[in-house]
Order: sequence, then C-alpha cells, then structure tokens
Amino acid sequence: MPHIKPILAALKRHKAGTILIALQIALTLAIVCNALFIIQQRVTRLSRPTGMDESNLVAIQNRWVGVTDAAAAGVLTRADVLALRQMPGVQDAVQVNAFPLRGGGWSTGVRVDVDGKKPIAHTTQYFMDEHALATMGVKLIAGRNFRADEVVTTDPDKIQTSPQAIVSKALADKLYPDGSALGKPIYLGDDRTPSTVIGVVERLQVPWGAAWTDDFAENSVILPVQLTGNFSTYLIRAKPGQQAELVKAAPAMLTKLNRLRVITGDRGVRTFEVVREQAYKSDRGLAILMGVICLILLAITAAGIVGLTSFWVGQRRKQIGVRRALGATKHDILSYFLTENLMIGIAGVVIGALMAVGLNLWMVTQFEMARLSMAYVAAGVIALLLLGQAAVLAPAMRAAKVPPVEATRSV
Amino acid sequence: MLKMTHLAKVYRTEVVETYALRDFNIDVKEGEFVAVTGPSGSGKTTFLTIAGLLETFSGGQYHLDGIEVSQLNDNARSKIRNEKIGFIFQAFNLIPDLNVFDNVEVPLRYRGMKAAERKQRIMDALERVGLASRAKHYPAELSGGQQQRVAIARALAGSPRLLLADEPTGNLDTQMARGVMELLEEIHREGATIVMVTHDPELAARAQRNVHIIDGQVVDLAEDPRFHHAVHEARTGTPA
Ligand SMILES: Nc1ncnc2c1ncn2[C@@H]1O[C@H](COP(=O)(O)OP(=O)(O)O)[C@@H](O)[C@H]1O
Ligand SMILES: [Mg+2]
Repeated sequence: MPHIKPILAALKRHKAGTILIALQIALTLAIVCNALFIIQQRVTRLSRPTGMDESNLVAIQNRWVGVTDAAAAGVLTRADVLALRQMPGVQDAVQVNAFPLRGGGWSTGVRVDVDGKKPIAHTTQYFMDEHALATMGVKLIAGRNFRADEVVTTDPDKIQTSPQAIVSKALADKLYPDGSALGKPIYLGDDRTPSTVIGVVERLQVPWGAAWTDDFAENSVILPVQLTGNFSTYLIRAKPGQQAELVKAAPAMLTKLNRLRVITGDRGVRTFEVVREQAYKSDRGLAILMGVICLILLAITAAGIVGLTSFWVGQRRKQIGVRRALGATKHDILSYFLTENLMIGIAGVVIGALMAVGLNLWMVTQFEMARLSMAYVAAGVIALLLLGQAAVLAPAMRAAKVPPVEATRSV
Repeated sequence: MLKMTHLAKVYRTEVVETYALRDFNIDVKEGEFVAVTGPSGSGKTTFLTIAGLLETFSGGQYHLDGIEVSQLNDNARSKIRNEKIGFIFQAFNLIPDLNVFDNVEVPLRYRGMKAAERKQRIMDALERVGLASRAKHYPAELSGGQQQRVAIARALAGSPRLLLADEPTGNLDTQMARGVMELLEEIHREGATIVMVTHDPELAARAQRNVHIIDGQVVDLAEDPRFHHAVHEARTGTPA
C-alpha cells in the first residue's frame, strides 16, 4: 500500500512542477474531450445515409450554351432525360433541381395550417417527375408515387403550388406527430393553397451536409415539377456494376445528342461517392486536424511528465538511496513515483473535467454546439490517468534501480 | 551478531580493480560497542555498507545474526535493513522534503506498522533525542547537531538490534559531537549493538573495543604501538 500522506507532503515542497504538470493534464483533458466530441459529431454527420441507392448513382450537371429561350431549354432537357433512360446500363434517370449533398438547393418553411404564423418545420424542396423514387432508390413507405399527368414543367419564376407532394418520414412525423400525414395538407413558404401529401418516403437527406442543416437534415418534400432553365441536372441510377461505365458513356451520349452544352468542371459528372466526398471535405479535414492536435497535445503532456519525473528522480537519487537503506524495496520506490504521478494526475483531471465542461458550455452558447456527453469526459479522465502512469513508468523504474549504497555516497 | 570471514570487496572500473577490503575478518558480539578507526580510504565505509546490506561483497562470508546474507535476495535484504539495522550517516541524510516527524516515520511505514503505533514510536524516539518540540520542522530549519539527532531518532524508532554509524560526528562541532556520543552510549546501555566509524580518538576511546582498518584489512591494535600512543594522547592530553 503506497503512502499517500508523505507523498502529498513532499509534493507541497515542489509546487511549481506539480502545478505545471497538473495544469497541463487539465488543459489537455479539456481540449481532447471537446475535440474528440467534435470529431465524433463530424464523423456521425459524414457517415449518415442520404436514403438513396448511393453506390449506383451518377450525377451530371449540364449547362446549355446558346439556348436563350427557357422553353427551348426545357425541350432539350426533356430529350436528354428520355435518352438517358434508354441507355443500356441505366436503370432510371430523372431531371432534378437538386439532390442530397449536392451543395445547393431550395429550402423553405412549412405550415400545416393556412393561417399558421410560424412554420412548424424547415424543409428542402426537390422538383422531380414520377421517376424520382425509382432513380434515387428511396423507399416509399406510405401512399403512392406521382403519376405522369401530375408533373408540370415550368419556369422557376412562374412556379405554382403543386397539388401533390411526397414527403420524407422525418418531415411527416414533424408536421403530423399524432398520426399519418397521408392525405393531409402542407403549406410551403407563404402558399395560401395547400399541397396534399400523397406519399411518404423512408428517408431523404437535404442537399447540404453542413452543421447548419443538422436540425432539418432529413426534412424533404418532392414536388411533381420540372424546372426549365440554363442549367439542367440529372441523376442517373446505373444497373448494378454499370456505374463506372456510365460515368464515361452518359456524357458521351449526351454530347452526341446535341452539342449545345458544357459538361465540365469537377461538378460535371460525378459518381455519388465523389459527391459525398466533396460535400464533407471540410468536415473530414476538421476531424483530421483535431485528431492531430489531440495527438500532439497528448504527446506533449506525456513528454512533460517523463521530463519532470526524470528530473525529480535525478534530483532525489540520494533520498531514494536513503529510503532503500531504511528498508524500502524496489517495488516501494516504483510505487512511490507511480502514486505521486497518480495524485498529480487526479488533481489535473478533476480541474480538467471542470474545464472540459466549461469549454463545452461556452461553445454551446457561442457556436450552437451540442452538449458534451459525460462519457467523453469519463473516457478522457481514464485515458489521461493511464497516459500519466505509462509516461512515468520508465523514470520510476530508473528510480527503483538506484542502489541503497547511494545513501553513503557523499554529494 | 556480525561476523565476517575472509571477506573481500573489489570495485571494478574499466581501468582498475580496487580492493577496498581484502581478507577482512571481524566478529562483533551481540551488545558490543565497537569503534572503527583507520586512515581515509582504508575501507571503513565499505565495511559498514556491506555490514548494513547496502552492498554485496566479492568473496568470503558474512553472517548477520546467524544468517549467511549472500544468499538473500533484494527484498529479503530490504526487510533485514528495515527491521534489524539502524543507519546513521555522516551527512545526516534526512529527506529534505519531509518534516522531522515524517522523516522518522519513513522506516516505520516501510515496515507496514499501524498509524497509532508509528506515532507512539516517533514521539518516543524524538523525546529521547530531545526534539519532540521540533516535529513539524523541516531539516533545513535545524542545526547540524539537531539534524543528526533526528537521524538517530529515525534509526532508533524501529528498535533495531544493530546500529551502524559512519562518522556520525564528522560534520559536528565538539560539543554537538559529545551530545551525539552520549546518546549512542545510552542506546548501547539499553542493549543495542553499535558499530561506529570515527576519526575522533576521544570518541573511539569511549567504545568498548576498537577495530583499526588499514588498506582494507583489520590490523591487530595490540601489536601496533602507534595506537597506544594515540589512545594515551587522547586520554591524558600529553604524548606518551
Ligand atoms: N563505488 C566505488 N567505486 C570504486 N572505488 C571505490 C568505491 N567506493 C569506495 N572505493 C574505494 O575503496 C576504498 C575504500 O573506500 P572507503 O570504504 O570509502 O574508505 P573510508 O571510508 O575508510 O575512507 C578507497 O580506495 C575508495 O577509493
Ligand atoms: Mg568513509
């Protein structure tokens, strides 16, 4: 059993080093806990599913060149979609205004009551035809799909309220928490006429992956509308194993169809893996950066402990020899230094845990961060105490090897 | 109590071998007070460190309290140091980070003694050396004589049967030295075996027996006239 009281008494005589290491442990704990928490949140965000059959999807962004009339562009766009659906290797294709993780799209507030002042939820609006569900591979869990005759082609400026809407389950549950949303009205934006929910899909993410969309990440409405304009965007679902082939074949086919277009740049033709990677680039970058910072901090703390303990062992060689002469075993000396470190570590993690919670609360108010889970603080505490014990082991073993005869050597 | 026969101690460095002790023979009986004298570098400290199990030896035999110690492992040696031996060093060797009370407590804690008994023994020992009132002081706040008395209290607290002192008065002035010597004599009267290395002929003369070491060997003092002269001088203040 190590002797806590005399170790504490001795530490009181080495305040500077003790406080320095305890604070270093505290600071490391506070930062590492919060950083790991942020990393975990980012990782959760970037691994969350869109609801689509991602592994078979290809997205193409096309710009019409020399087509000044929106109606003409609409006709060309329609021709593209029909041609894509005819391609071998294509399961289905759809023209879209946006798709999950695309990075740009429409969003608006939703009410369920025509006179409701405040929107109940925020949602994105996808404009697609009756091929939407089959192309994206999202699962219809209630109601029905659009019929071809319900689809309206329009200029974005002249858009009208759609009588029909398909909503994601997340949005349906938000709007009608007490029962099925099917057949119920929803009012988008400042619409005075309702869209009726004709179908509910299991899951469909919004076009953004960033943190600000976290509270409506799966609130989506699909409306049976085809927008015309200078740009057209297609989502193509390949037959299994055909995705790589389509990445080359689809733009080639489109170019062959007509040459009044540009499909270039890093957003021209993308598999969905690429879409996902680009959408979460900064999240991944931040997670890696924070991970590296954590590792560096932990390494510096460990080095600080090794350094200070080595210094103390050197400084105390004589008294270690005296202790050995007075009957201390090697194990007594080893456990002296381990216990000493444990006590500094405990002081450090207690302060550090408070600092971790404080830092998180500050970030909660400043950056709308989530509240730090106590599991992270607990894990951090254990990790830092273990790190301390590991760091102190080598110098403590050196101390245990100081021979008892050191007591008689004159200084 | 302490018996060495044909004992040898060699210090080896890359370049030289130093025989600190050679064919070293000594027999200290239970309850004896032996003073060890000899020139500087003759091997007195080496003898004490081996006697006190602080170091191993190169050859010969050493029986401590009937046990052949060369067979013992490190833990067993620690235990014997802790329970049977008390050390008093020339440089006092108090632990500077601990106060007087905690210093005296060190060997008792290693013995795993209960707190109440520790406290009792510490206060008794400090009482004996006349420093009970200084229990909360740190070594740096005490004079050399007081520090050495704390060291004696630390050696005494565990009631060792054998007390080993390496020039315990070497760093003290005459008056303090006398105080320390009187303390040792008192402890001896109570039954402890004491082996004390000293340079001071006056103190040596107060021991029951003198052992003289020259060049790592015990020499027979009866055969050495120089010793008689020294003793005479110490006792009478005039050369023989
Ligand atoms: N650790 C050591 N390494 C090498 N030589 C040593 C060591 N300790 C003592 N010696 C040598 O052994 C001899 C006896 O030393 P010591 O026992 O300290 O003498 P004393 O205490 O009588 O002055 C000296 O020659 C000394 O140099
Ligand atoms: Mg010496």
